[in-house]
Amino acid sequence: MFLAELGSVFLLVSLVLAILSFGTGLAAGRRDDARLARLARRAFYGLAVFLLGASATLVAALLAHDFSIAYVWEHTDRALSVPLTVAAFYGGQEGSLLYWALLLTLGGSAALVAAAQTSYRMTAFATAVLAAVATFFVLVLAFVASPFDVLPVTPADGLGLNPVLRDGGMLIHPPFLLAGYSAFAVPFAFALAALLAGRDDMGWTGWTRRFALVAWALQSVGLTLGMWWAYHVLGWGGYWGWDPVENAALMPWLATTAYLHSAEVQERRGTLRAWSYGLVITAFLLAILGTFIVRSGILPSVHTFAVSQLGPWFFGFLVVSVAASVAVMAWRSDRLRSQDALETPASREGALLLQNVLLLALTAAVLWGTMLPLVSGMFGSQLVVGAAYYERVGAPLFIALLALLAAGPMLPWRRVDGGWLRLMRWPLVAAALTLAALLAAGARQAGVLVSLPLIAAGLVTCVAEYAGGVSSARRLAGPWLLAAGRVILRNRRRYGAYLAHAGILAVAAGLIGSHAWQQSRQVALHPGESVTVARYTLTYEGAVQRSAGDHSEQVARLRLGQETLEPARLTYPSAGGQALTQVAIRSAPLEDLYVVLAAPAEGDAATFVVFVNPLVTWIWGGAALLVVGVLLGHAGRLDPAVKPLPAAVSAPVAAK
Amino acid sequence: MIALRWLGLGAVVVACLGYLIFAATGSSAEYYQTISEMRGHPSNGDVRVLGTVQDDVARSDGGLHVRFTAAEGGHTMPVDYQGTLPDIFRPGMPVVVEGKMGSDGVFHAKALQAKCPSRFSTATPPTT
Repeated sequence: MFLAELGSVFLLVSLVLAILSFGTGLAAGRRDDARLARLARRAFYGLAVFLLGASATLVAALLAHDFSIAYVWEHTDRALSVPLTVAAFYGGQEGSLLYWALLLTLGGSAALVAAAQTSYRMTAFATAVLAAVATFFVLVLAFVASPFDVLPVTPADGLGLNPVLRDGGMLIHPPFLLAGYSAFAVPFAFALAALLAGRDDMGWTGWTRRFALVAWALQSVGLTLGMWWAYHVLGWGGYWGWDPVENAALMPWLATTAYLHSAEVQERRGTLRAWSYGLVITAFLLAILGTFIVRSGILPSVHTFAVSQLGPWFFGFLVVSVAASVAVMAWRSDRLRSQDALETPASREGALLLQNVLLLALTAAVLWGTMLPLVSGMFGSQLVVGAAYYERVGAPLFIALLALLAAGPMLPWRRVDGGWLRLMRWPLVAAALTLAALLAAGARQAGVLVSLPLIAAGLVTCVAEYAGGVSSARRLAGPWLLAAGRVILRNRRRYGAYLAHAGILAVAAGLIGSHAWQQSRQVALHPGESVTVARYTLTYEGAVQRSAGDHSEQVARLRLGQETLEPARLTYPSAGGQALTQVAIRSAPLEDLYVVLAAPAEGDAATFVVFVNPLVTWIWGGAALLVVGVLLGHAGRLDPAVKPLPAAVSAPVAAK
Repeated sequence: MIALRWLGLGAVVVACLGYLIFAATGSSAEYYQTISEMRGHPSNGDVRVLGTVQDDVARSDGGLHVRFTAAEGGHTMPVDYQGTLPDIFRPGMPVVVEGKMGSDGVFHAKALQAKCPSRFSTATPPTT
């Protein structure tokens, strides 16, 4: 009871601080007042402290099993382990909103501390925007969906957590994704601040990019963990279902990926400034749209969230955010007009712009597919699209992006002066060799024959960039390996980016391989019987029934050569007899053997679904490489080596 | 001159994307209907229908073949589905079935998805 009141007080003080920070921030930016700007920032830091207090209070209530609080009662019980009890902080509707607001203010505070030196006027506007977003969340937390609502009678025990969610994945996937969602607000605030102030500079664009990068990295990890969790826990052999909830997380990621590339042009050429800020703003609006979709239950999804009273609130926030963003863009973007026009599509900046367009096209296609039930529902029966739609629309765009990954980095800035074949010779050779190898191996699917050679070409492009760096290092003094290391370290953003490209190419190979070459079989086996899928022969040896803690499990034993695979089914009597599949996965670099005990054994026979999923491990490895490459590239001081190109030079400037 | 070229390029891209989305939607969109809507407007293609699993679940074929009645808004329909069932499939759960109503009056589902609950029960808070 005491904890509930304490938490509510923390939220109310937070609301006051958020409104104060918004008002003073806006006034400071408009009047160019440094003292007011400092006050706005301090109010924002105070907001972060009070939200931290509210979060600590909620965690304390969870750990103390204070079932007088509705949230604690709904999401935990006494039997739940301590880590999962703490995870309930962000596991439910109200708690996840608090977690979101907390991360928004903590991340925002860090960003404001870092950028305040650059320009207090832009920082003041950024403070106001961040505070406005925070005000919305705290308002909802305080009055609509409070995690500190009290039950009329204190129950003896809570309802507990769904078994599907009682998994390690639950501990790490949601916090990353929610952190990613909340982090999009920081670059959004910085972009709007630059537009509101009507100016920006190298320092400011550097910080905007850095915070966009943080959001992007968090979202990348969140998306990958979500796929990993779906693949390892849900037991349907796949990792991505084009569900609205998944799409909602993908769209801001795509828009931010586009921004990270246009920011390169923005920095090197001074062009695409308003465009880049537009992408950052779009990413945030898509994140809010995604949250609205997820929280309102407005679209048919396999994920349902308990409460839908938040729908109108998020819709209102979305409308206000879109209107404010469009108004600021329309009013101010001419102030950021480019100094220098793009000359021709056949150049590095042309390739980057085309990549932007393709990523936005993909985002638009995903958005259309996601919103179709809503749009068609207004005119009659609801229409839905499934994987077939996304594959048909996505495939050409995906192929074009792969081609760009191979060709784009080979193009010089400004313009190509002849010599196309010479520029592209190594990627072309790699593509031709891969195509020949695939044909020789008997592959006949058009998708595979186009995409895998392009991936090989892209990888060669990345390797060629490294080779170029190493060979230029050989001309330097000292041992060349050391010199090469120094060259790569000094240009780490560039080499980090090529590492990331290699990562995304590996992900692409994994997506294509697991899609085109997946094999599966459903079979009922008696002990002693065997099944063969691809090159694996599995022999069923029998099943055992075990009881463990709050559940019972049925474990089937399958022999594969010297190894034993043990897919299982867990049954939770406390959860109304709900079952949980435990997939047996034997991962290898080239393919996974994925065995599901599909149905409870009746009598002697047990039913299995056996999948052979090629190249799935490449997705996990590639995603790790992607994030590591980008983070390494941006570690350390802001912008160590990159200098903008001079506004106009007569000779074409090499890519180096 | 340069601006015009970029504008032309942009128009081509938008036109291509529009066609791509239009064609893919036309060839793969399905109706998402309630049971009564489906009975009212029979469709030639596959449809998706939401319903709650009733108590009459009958499994056969090692658990890979299942028949049950789905109910929603006072209407019911028998469903026949061959394949693996989601873990949380059981009477009382809302499911989305994708397939066709057969001439035998049974809905033949090609795919069955369970709606993932954020907690087990829609229990109401205790009162005195």
